Amino acid sequence: MKLVLKIWRQQNGNSEGKIVDYMLDDVSPDMSFLEMLDVLNEKLIAKNEEPVAFDHDCREGICGACSLIINGVPHGPEKATTTCQLHMRKFNDGEEIVIEPWRASAFPVIKDLVVDRSSFDRIIQKGGFITANTGNAQDGNTLPISKIDADASMDAAACIGCGACVAACKNGSASLFVAAKLSHLGLLPQGQPERGSRVLAMVMQMDEEGFGSCTNTYDCEAACPKEISVKNIARMNRDFFKASLFGV
Amino acid sequence: MLGFLRSTILSKIVMTVSGAAIVGFLIAHLTGNLLIFGGPEKINAYGQGLRDLGLLLLFLRIGLVVTFVLHIVTSIYLADKNRTARPVSYTKKKSIQSTIASRTMFFSGLTILTFVVYHLLHFTYGIVQPEFYHGEYILHDGRTVPDIYSMMIHGFQNPFIVITYLLAVTFVCLHLSHAIGSAFQTLGINHTKYNGIIKKAGMGLATILWLGYMSIPFGIMAGVLKLTNGGH
Ligand code: HEM
Ligand code: FES
Repeated sequence: MKLVLKIWRQQNGNSEGKIVDYMLDDVSPDMSFLEMLDVLNEKLIAKNEEPVAFDHDCREGICGACSLIINGVPHGPEKATTTCQLHMRKFNDGEEIVIEPWRASAFPVIKDLVVDRSSFDRIIQKGGFITANTGNAQDGNTLPISKIDADASMDAAACIGCGACVAACKNGSASLFVAAKLSHLGLLPQGQPERGSRVLAMVMQMDEEGFGSCTNTYDCEAACPKEISVKNIARMNRDFFKASLFGV
Repeated sequence: MLGFLRSTILSKIVMTVSGAAIVGFLIAHLTGNLLIFGGPEKINAYGQGLRDLGLLLLFLRIGLVVTFVLHIVTSIYLADKNRTARPVSYTKKKSIQSTIASRTMFFSGLTILTFVVYHLLHFTYGIVQPEFYHGEYILHDGRTVPDIYSMMIHGFQNPFIVITYLLAVTFVCLHLSHAIGSAFQTLGINHTKYNGIIKKAGMGLATILWLGYMSIPFGIMAGVLKLTNGGH
């Protein structure tokens, strides 16, 4: 395959960036999107040019490190798929592909396509924990959990924290991410002691980081590689309201 | 506690509660307006009935203005926060499943606001068409009251005014087609069992309001509603 790549290049957080065009020949349809970028970088290095910086780690769709807005969509055109699991057969020969970093004031660009997502870590630090007994581990089976709650919690726990929801949202809102983490812990018995304080602390931190507000447009849900449902956002609103009104 | 009040979620709840109150007003206002199909006696008596409320009407009006101001001020606060959340925009960006209505809430809201001002100048203060504002009507009980009936008929015989109202009502309904479903989500109501009904009810209400409000100018243009001998 031949491709025309239009890639955002930016030296560092303080410099101006711009879209730079690259022609890439001999792309195999079986390559993953990141392998295609690896090939581009090999060529750039061979020509003594600066390779394109992008985030990646597991390359198997579970870590949440990879990102990229590909032709206007976070993680590219394939539904429920991370960029590392996206393959070039989803594109056409000769296609022009625009590649940009996540864009949000809370995700400043570090270099090229790499953004700083530590705002997510600071939100997690505010409430992503539970109170646990010390001493010997308890027998897990002694804690009754309904199948419905267990399933809903597990679905929320599928969030890999990649930030595609923020990138997709016209308001740069982190509601889907925060709501997924809140449901993950708040639906289980172990998460109950902090359920109220957790939602207050994490939402306040989300606002403080400069993420936008949710206007219920739901592009986040469609962009999420783990198909996290916006039902979690409704649950977050409910819990936040309850905790603000009636205490934690 | 003050911190919570500034939080985006409680701001959204303010939007929702004030918005819902305005929806209530829209329904009540339409119900009153539709009395025009009952003839000049009905609508003019209704108008006088409202005026007779006196102090209560004043309180209702103040309540409505406060509600509008809350809705608008909160929307500006949120829209500003949302704009600064993405300082550099994308070169290429696609919406994936969001609707146009949901993406243009602030714009449709501003259109509505402009219209509300115009509408008040038109029918409440009689500044747009003063020539039709001072008509009088004699009710069956002998009282002489302002003639709303002929004011509306005269007003909507002008096609430019009809087009203004058509656009405005369409924007209100566009706003509502997203707002009603969205309000439930904001209040934390999202359940597979009810989402279908909520969505349909929201669209249904928006459609009914559109048809209801537009039936008056359309009725006048089509000649179904016309001047009677009662009006001067
Ligand atoms: C006929 C008058 C109006 C009615 C009935 C109305 C109703 C509503 C309702 C029910 C919501 C839903 C809140 C939610 O998403 O939870 C809403 C949202 C909104 N309204 Fe209005 N509204 C009206 C006028 C206005 C005006 C004059 C503005 C001024 C700019 C405005 C701006 C907005 C915005 C920006 C939102 C979206 C807020 C968000 O989703 O975060 N609206 N409206
Ligand atoms: S690199 Fe780990 S999810 Fe893509």
